[in-house]
Amino acid sequence: MAKEIIQIKDLKVYYPIRSGFWNRITDYVRAVDGVNFSINEGETYGLIGESGSGKSTTGKAIVGVEKVTGGQIMYKGLDVTKASNRKKLDYNKDVQMIFQDSMSSLNPRKRIEDIIAEPIRNFENLTTDQERDRVQDLLDIVGMPSDAIYKYPHEFSGGQRQRIGVARAVATNPKLIVADEPTSALDLSVQAQVLNFMKHIQQQYNIAYLFISHDLGVVKHMSENLAIMHRGRLVELGSREEIYKHPIHIYTKRLLSAIPQVDVEHREEHKKHREQVEKEFEENQGKWYDKDGRVYPLQQVAPKHWVALPEDMAQEAELEEREEKESD
Amino acid sequence: MADKKKDTATKKASKKDATPKATLPPSGFRVAVREILRSKSALTALIIIILILLLTFGGSLFLNRAQITEMNIVDAYYGWGQGGHLLGTDDGGRDILKLLIMGGRNSIMIGISVTVITEIVGLVVGLVSGYYGGVVDAIIMRIVDFIQILPQMPIIIVLTTVIPNYNAVTLVFLIAMFGWTPTARYYRSFILSQRDRDYVLASKTSGSSNFQIMFREVLPNITSMIIIDVVLTIAGNIGIETSLSFLGYGLPTTTPSLGTLIGFANDPVNVINRPWLWLPATILLLVISLSINYVGRALQRAGDARQREN
Repeated sequence: MAKEIIQIKDLKVYYPIRSGFWNRITDYVRAVDGVNFSINEGETYGLIGESGSGKSTTGKAIVGVEKVTGGQIMYKGLDVTKASNRKKLDYNKDVQMIFQDSMSSLNPRKRIEDIIAEPIRNFENLTTDQERDRVQDLLDIVGMPSDAIYKYPHEFSGGQRQRIGVARAVATNPKLIVADEPTSALDLSVQAQVLNFMKHIQQQYNIAYLFISHDLGVVKHMSENLAIMHRGRLVELGSREEIYKHPIHIYTKRLLSAIPQVDVEHREEHKKHREQVEKEFEENQGKWYDKDGRVYPLQQVAPKHWVALPEDMAQEAELEEREEKESD
Repeated sequence: MADKKKDTATKKASKKDATPKATLPPSGFRVAVREILRSKSALTALIIIILILLLTFGGSLFLNRAQITEMNIVDAYYGWGQGGHLLGTDDGGRDILKLLIMGGRNSIMIGISVTVITEIVGLVVGLVSGYYGGVVDAIIMRIVDFIQILPQMPIIIVLTTVIPNYNAVTLVFLIAMFGWTPTARYYRSFILSQRDRDYVLASKTSGSSNFQIMFREVLPNITSMIIIDVVLTIAGNIGIETSLSFLGYGLPTTTPSLGTLIGFANDPVNVINRPWLWLPATILLLVISLSINYVGRALQRAGDARQREN
């Protein structure tokens, strides 16, 4: 059993909606609404969801740049949603982030050396020479030429910039990196390149990733465990095999059916399957979401599989799951 | 391990040989120069500004203030070129050309000092307000609102008569007291657009303090806006000083300035019969303001890609 590195307990991030004459808070946008999961040391944990489902907000809350409304994030036995605890632990030395938009995440006015050295300067005491060697090593790891150190971000291509972002994130030898859609702005060949560098670094330094993405294919390639998020809550959580082979929640099924498949012969069948899932989603939405349109709490249906279901459906699902297992 | 060390050593050596290629994104100094060179009016304006600065600052090095402001009633009201005075003399027999050089320098100096103070205060206030947002921003912006609705001129005029030790330095502070508010607003708007960029978040996760992010990360990204604003407010502040002096509430009469010279036009007789008293100063002020504005406009085009022609 691998050691858990971080636990997210009932995490909530609400944004107030202000309206009326006095601009009072009349309601909240529940961007993240009670999310529970935990990440093991050195594993890649996938967090999947559509745009606006709160997955990036969850990631930002874990890194500590988003104000948390409720819940806890436990790291080394302390609740790091409090800024004082983060400071005590030097939290951001251990937990770093890779951003989606590599252009805006690198300061256009700073050289690559200064960009990558920033976390090193803040968390470690190195001489200028040591620091430069470290930056050079990091650039080597992500396969960048050594003269990159003197250049500015706009002189690189998107894939190179994203690799610089990866180099910055691993600069302080972190234990966990939150990768917020690190490849969604890149084309497919460059995606593979960046992902391979990330995997390579993971094996080398035993880093855990929280891999946030809407691309199920990429997540399948990267992660062992994953969680699927919808409307600020988790709808399904489990190991990769469980979710890709036995999806239970209607939303998961819909997502999985939407993965494009290069299979010209069976194109019509795939299309039919997709349409059928979509129809089921339209018709049975009320069954899978409660009367306010919220997702139900998670129920365990198999040893490594949790699904958001109303209680009566949970037992059914559990039985189904067992049958499916036996027939496999 | 030893091999690796050698490897990095050779790498370092080769690094020193290679000339560092450092080109900023083309929004900086070079675009500004290109934009000024491209437009004829801006280039002419820049040359005129440099000439005026040389004339006033260089010329006043050779002049003695006590000597220039010395009264000599016998020489009063010489006309153009009379008695060796190229631009004539005023009611106290003082040489207008020398007063113009000295006064031009004083006015420009006051304009620049006021700008330095207002830019620094405005920049810091704008940075803090825009970066933190929320309650801090709301409070600071209400204070700015309050100062902006105060009638600036009457208050300065009242204060000039109340302050016991009134001189150029106090005048600078009086003008700066009101001048920082639009600057703060201006910078706040740019900081607001920078604040939510990912590089700010990246700096936060890299462990930089808010103070470091404000001055080391965000500030360099608005340098072009700073240059534009500095240039344009210098012209405005020279104008404020001049109008106060014209009204008689600016610099004391013993300190020559463009405003005191233009002030001769308060007397209708001077306006009609003795144009040498006020006309040169008026033209100089006009030329300075126009030139600065043309250069500022070119800088504005350089700073904002949307205003550029290509």
